[in-house]
Amino acid sequence: MNPDEVSKAFVEHYYSTFDSNRSALANLYQEGSMLTFEGQKIQGSPNIVAKLTSLPFQQCKHHITTVDCQPSGPSGGMLVFVSGNLQISGEQHALKFSQMFHLIPTPQGSFYVLNDIFRLNYA
Amino acid sequence: MLTFEGQKIQGSPNIVAKLTSLPFQQCQHSITTVDCQPSGPAGGMLVFVSGNLQLAGEQHALKFSQMFHLIPTTQGSFYVLNDIFRLNYA
Repeated sequence: MNPDEVSKAFVEHYYSTFDSNRSALANLYQEGSMLTFEGQKIQGSPNIVAKLTSLPFQQCKHHITTVDCQPSGPSGGMLVFVSGNLQISGEQHALKFSQMFHLIPTPQGSFYVLNDIFRLNYA
Repeated sequence: MLTFEGQKIQGSPNIVAKLTSLPFQQCQHSITTVDCQPSGPAGGMLVFVSGNLQLAGEQHALKFSQMFHLIPTTQGSFYVLNDIFRLNYA
């Protein structure tokens, strides 16, 4: 798979998991993974999943508008830059967001998220 | 590498040629948020920025998000290995 295909597959998997079963995101992060969520810094898969599962809504749906990716260096890592809309059930208007991921290859041929930064884009 | 609104450009001369050929004379970036994280054992840094871009002569500012991957140089500085820029349309 070329990098564009890999990043597209990752984005689809990440957000469909987020929208259906946030606790299953634990497989995508490791101990050294970092999330900065609206400025709040969180490290390690358990803490990251605790943050994401405690967000103050029951259900949400991400609609992805753009996905850009670039290789991050000689070790095979990949940077993925996403923008889109986040519809929270019960809310009238969708929120706009931008998010970046740094994916690192695993020995099993998959990727995990080392870096994750999320920001809402306010009007 | 620069990805500018989906267009991929590689190498400093090509990147600078793209940025200097953007269709405006003057602009002012106003930065709203800056987030950063270390990118791995080699000392690299990821920087995630959002803000407004005011073009001279335009009534409304454009909103943008941009990420940089900075790599340390032997002289103790950083250079930009990865740069991705996107406008945030309403």
